Amino acid sequence: MAIIRPRLTDYYGIPLRQEDLDFPIPFLDEDIPLYVDPFLLWKSPSMMDNALHTSIIGSFNNLGRLYIDGEENQAIQTLIALTECEEVGLGNSKTRVGKKIGEAAANEILNLFRVIPQIKAEGFSHFEEIQLLIDGISKDRVCDISCSLIKSFLIDYSMQQCQKLGIPTEKVPISLFDYRSQQFISEDTSLPINPYNNKPILLTPKRWLRFSPWINYEDYFSNHYIKDVEKHFADRKNRVEILEFNRHNYGLVASYTEARKRDVGECKNDPLFSQIPVLSARRKWNTIKKLPTGKDGNADKQYEDLMVQLLSSMLYPHLDFADAQSRTESGLQIRDVIFYNNRSYDFLQDIYDSFDCRQLVIELKNVHELEREHINQLNRYMTEQFGKFGVIFTRNRMPKNIYQNTIDLWAGQRRCIIILDDSDLESMVEVYESKQRNPIEFIKRTYVQFTRDCPA
Amino acid sequence: MTEQEINNFEKTQGQLSSLHEEISALAKKSPSDSLNKFKLRFVNKTITEANHLLGAKYKPFDDFDQFDDVEVPSNSDVNLILGQYLNCLEKMRSDNIQQDSNRRWVWVIDNKNTSNIRTAAPKKLEAK
Repeated sequence: MAIIRPRLTDYYGIPLRQEDLDFPIPFLDEDIPLYVDPFLLWKSPSMMDNALHTSIIGSFNNLGRLYIDGEENQAIQTLIALTECEEVGLGNSKTRVGKKIGEAAANEILNLFRVIPQIKAEGFSHFEEIQLLIDGISKDRVCDISCSLIKSFLIDYSMQQCQKLGIPTEKVPISLFDYRSQQFISEDTSLPINPYNNKPILLTPKRWLRFSPWINYEDYFSNHYIKDVEKHFADRKNRVEILEFNRHNYGLVASYTEARKRDVGECKNDPLFSQIPVLSARRKWNTIKKLPTGKDGNADKQYEDLMVQLLSSMLYPHLDFADAQSRTESGLQIRDVIFYNNRSYDFLQDIYDSFDCRQLVIELKNVHELEREHINQLNRYMTEQFGKFGVIFTRNRMPKNIYQNTIDLWAGQRRCIIILDDSDLESMVEVYESKQRNPIEFIKRTYVQFTRDCPA
Repeated sequence: MTEQEINNFEKTQGQLSSLHEEISALAKKSPSDSLNKFKLRFVNKTITEANHLLGAKYKPFDDFDQFDDVEVPSNSDVNLILGQYLNCLEKMRSDNIQQDSNRRWVWVIDNKNTSNIRTAAPKKLEAK
């Protein structure tokens, strides 16, 4: 069954809320746009996380030691193998497939152990500093190297979580970095499998993830480098020159790392999804209220954009936002908001059981009056993953004949389309602000009223 | 009314009046906001008790028994209904009290005997 933006748990029909889980639910056909930040492991109050950080740094420095000691080829090949860990599915790939770095880049990284005296003597204490020293190395590489070096732990963690949550696993061979021998080995393990490509999936704790590492080039450039160095130079240097400068002035990079360590209190993991603030929701509602119906001045586009932001926040965490997508029907552009139905609420369980609704589709209609054709458009779209349940948000209360139309649809085909308007949206915004109720209760209310009006 | 019923009446009227006061303040601040489940549970409990006391004769609306949680009632909805219940309770009280020989307002027990359970004057008289 085709699911929009499929996730591991939804594929197997396991109803879990993202909010309740310790790891981001992996998508099956794309990466999660978060990265493992080794700094979060270092700052974690958990001794286990600290030990994992130590093992990452130890293994990375050991590669440098190998390189210096003349085992250059072995060190380069190992580092290349470490630079992609597609099982974790983190980053910005739309296909869950990444590329390793080339030999030249690996050589350049390992050469740091030769050319920078401090690193040659003591090694890295935070290896993400390589972003500030080598061109073409950024957060995705730092994340992949970290994950590759602690893959053994991630395998155990994934197995444990799958067992706890009932996610199916299969016996599969996986290549991993062995801490004891400091080499890659292959092991047979029980891991969840991506049904799209039959490759194993690794889960990663949420507490290690950030959109960009705590130590990163952009922050270094805007908050550290300019203040201390660039003022001495008249012209603005480009990235490659700055990296070159850093390699010759490692003390500055080290002082940046020290400064970041001092600010450790502000270093927090990033959530996969953040709700918009209450004030912003109120402002969006006020803008929607003033929008005219129809397409004049792109009002329909604005309405849809605002609604996507409002609904995805207001319905969280009961419904996890999957996607906002457009489709064309009879020459008309139709915009939907799609949520994963994680059955975390009695009403959601009910529509799953009664209408086989695996993903909830909400169609947005910035029209003055809802027409029969609008109902038919959604009805035609309600197939497969959406089951026989759909929601329409529109601007004004629907005419009686349209409501009767939806009742007839239920009576004839057992399909349920419920319609909410601006007054319901206002109530949802009101309770989103006051926190007295859950906004999803207004969708439930409309659904219950609808079922009461349906013929027995 | 029996002595027991008078006791229950006074308790329920007091509770409803206090709920009405609280929810009036909420309704004044944000009328269209919804009452949370916790508060609604106690409002419904008190209204059910009031229905029992008022009976068909005094009940404000014959098709209203209590709020449906699914309907997510707003502060102003609840405030309106509580006001209706308070008025009906007062009407019932007015019909069951009278002045004794000392011109003090007391409850009438079993529709005939004045008791020594004192009460306030009917609200309509107080207003005058």
